Amino acid sequence: MKQVAYIVNTGIITAIGNDTAACLDALLHGRTGVSKAEYLKTHWSEEFPVAEVKASNKALATIAGVDAKWPRTAILSAIAVKEAWQPFAEKLRGLKVGFFSATTVGGMDLTENVYKAFKEDSSSVDFNSIKNHECGAITELVANHFGINDFVTTISTACSSSANSIMMAAQMIGNGMLDVAIAGGADSLSKFTLNGFNTLMILDKQACQPFDNNRRGLNLGEGAGYLLLMSEKAMQQCGATASCVVSGYANANDAYHQTASSPDGTGNKLAMGNALKVANLLPADINYINLHGTGTANNDSSEGKAIEVLFDGKVPASSSTKAYTGHTLGAAAGVEAVFSVLSIKEGIVYPNLRWETQMEDVSFKPVTELKTRLDIRHVLSNSFGFGGNCSSLVFSKCLVWNCI
Amino acid sequence: MELYITGTGIVSCAGNSGDADFLKESQSYDTDRLLCVEPNYTAYIPPMQLRRMSKAVRIGIGASKMCMASAGIEKPDAISVGTAMGCLTDTEVFLNKMITQEEQMLTPTAFIQSTHNTVSGQIALLAGCYGHNLTFVQRGHSFEHAVINTQLYLSDNPHQQMLVGGIDELTDGSVEALKIGGINRKENSTPADVLNGNTQGAVAGEGAAFFIMTDDKPIKPAVCIKDVYAFTEKDIVTAAQKLTAYVNSQSLNIDAVLLGQSGDEKSNAFYESLRSGIFSNKPQYIFKHLCGEYATASAFALGILSNAITKGEALPSHCALNNEAVALKNVLLVNHYMHYYSCWVLQVA
Repeated sequence: MKQVAYIVNTGIITAIGNDTAACLDALLHGRTGVSKAEYLKTHWSEEFPVAEVKASNKALATIAGVDAKWPRTAILSAIAVKEAWQPFAEKLRGLKVGFFSATTVGGMDLTENVYKAFKEDSSSVDFNSIKNHECGAITELVANHFGINDFVTTISTACSSSANSIMMAAQMIGNGMLDVAIAGGADSLSKFTLNGFNTLMILDKQACQPFDNNRRGLNLGEGAGYLLLMSEKAMQQCGATASCVVSGYANANDAYHQTASSPDGTGNKLAMGNALKVANLLPADINYINLHGTGTANNDSSEGKAIEVLFDGKVPASSSTKAYTGHTLGAAAGVEAVFSVLSIKEGIVYPNLRWETQMEDVSFKPVTELKTRLDIRHVLSNSFGFGGNCSSLVFSKCLVWNCI
Repeated sequence: MELYITGTGIVSCAGNSGDADFLKESQSYDTDRLLCVEPNYTAYIPPMQLRRMSKAVRIGIGASKMCMASAGIEKPDAISVGTAMGCLTDTEVFLNKMITQEEQMLTPTAFIQSTHNTVSGQIALLAGCYGHNLTFVQRGHSFEHAVINTQLYLSDNPHQQMLVGGIDELTDGSVEALKIGGINRKENSTPADVLNGNTQGAVAGEGAAFFIMTDDKPIKPAVCIKDVYAFTEKDIVTAAQKLTAYVNSQSLNIDAVLLGQSGDEKSNAFYESLRSGIFSNKPQYIFKHLCGEYATASAFALGILSNAITKGEALPSHCALNNEAVALKNVLLVNHYMHYYSCWVLQVA
């Protein structure tokens, strides 16, 4: 018998807020985080808007209570983990706790500033600037800070990374290997990623318009998002309650192109369909789809077509929240997992900001006005990335799941 | 869950598992880094695609293709890869151009291939594998976690065949950083240095080792992964105690131990205490004189054993530290990288 992975708490930081309450407030009031880069120093700051957390590393490190010399990704991670973790930190004695994080940039924000000098004369550079370059080093810094060491891992599957960390955490709670898990991911903005996405010509020079016929590309964002998952035993020990569970998950590969999605969204369909199977749900059971919806011509078309086929034309309320947060890459699925949980808890569906024109090759329309007082029982959250990596998660309300 | 290895593919500094004379002779060298001896890829990778691939992608695809060929399959059901550093060459190429060209006139190829999941994605793309596909990047446990993920996947999806690999490449930049970090030795090393274990840091290495793993016991003799115990520990003495306690708890009849002794003095103290402790009367083997020190070297070690078992051979004599094993039924693999440790309980079934 598989253990259920209950969602006990959330932790988040994005351009629209430094914690869950602030992000929810921005979502409810339609406040976008997309604007001109102030802290990311790049040639392209006038050209490409980003969804940046408007604070220096020093200010953020103070919030997190960590060393300001850490890579920005680690600082963002620590802020979100702290929010999810702190209320329960003292109550988990004797329980097996895991930390599942995800990142694509690791310590690149520091490395890119010293790389040239390091190559010319390695002794001229403070080694602290590159010693945490590895993705795994980011997770290690945060895990050590919070004293989590039963199982600590990092997944890097591009834009689907943190969906996979949540999936693996749910599996390890499911089979009793762990009692508690913090799962999600973090990514900071860096010149490396901004320039990389620019070479692919998929950055929008304006604020992005996901699922709009005239969409022009994506805005990069930064942040971190984590779920605190617990088994029933762990919840009882620390007197926790849960509003929803991780009920389904699946990972598939599109096997079409290193960076582009197949036109009919083969991998997308497999990920969504298999996640529903794991949750033992039918497409009609889903009340809200938090779309991957990056705003690129390719993603939104493939994702939209895959959804139409899987849902047989009867598409539930759907929206992309990337018009608020930008595309936070390795953090995206963690951030959107928090939004999915809030959708169930609050009974709301977020508007797909800035939507104007119906897509020609997809017949459904995303939700464009905030919807409240809904009974949201099951949310499907999509995350698709480079390397053909496609992952979908299903979150379900406790009242309809087999809850305590 | 027990995993059976039904296919092995290795591209390493000591040659490739496809070569007839693979590991027959020990190497001699005097260097600060051991680099992969790359195979002729024409049998594995279309030439047009090969031209665009950096070393990490080439050795990863090459090893995975050799592995699938040795298992007699065209494509796996799922893929799980561990890489601590990812595709460093492409990362550095893009980084260097971005800096020197001041963010102007950049081209996408290096950026596209710089992502950590490039190898697992490319394998899926070339094989047409739509299944589960993950990449773990947890430093010295990257490969171990790819294997733990395989256990999780196969317990949900039994009777499937999963491609699992460990891969890391060296660049000039990473060797320099790893030297400053104290992981790799600043001076040159010889195979004798790896054996003696009294240097500051170890000779740098790289490589790719891939496996087909399944939960179904095969007809032919195969290595079975009974358990993987992975832990982190800052203190060497405590680490040796933890490992000893774990081995004692398993009540095993050990035929041989495969040790990741790297030549580094501090790390050597860990292995030395095991060699003179719980493993004192056991046949002891080393492997890092062949592959050098890198974060996913445990994949290479697992590859040596499964390669030997598949081919009906003994472990190479030049890997033996004391008396050679009479039988190879129960083998323990112990690896240490930075503060990452793993102990693999392996059985030939």
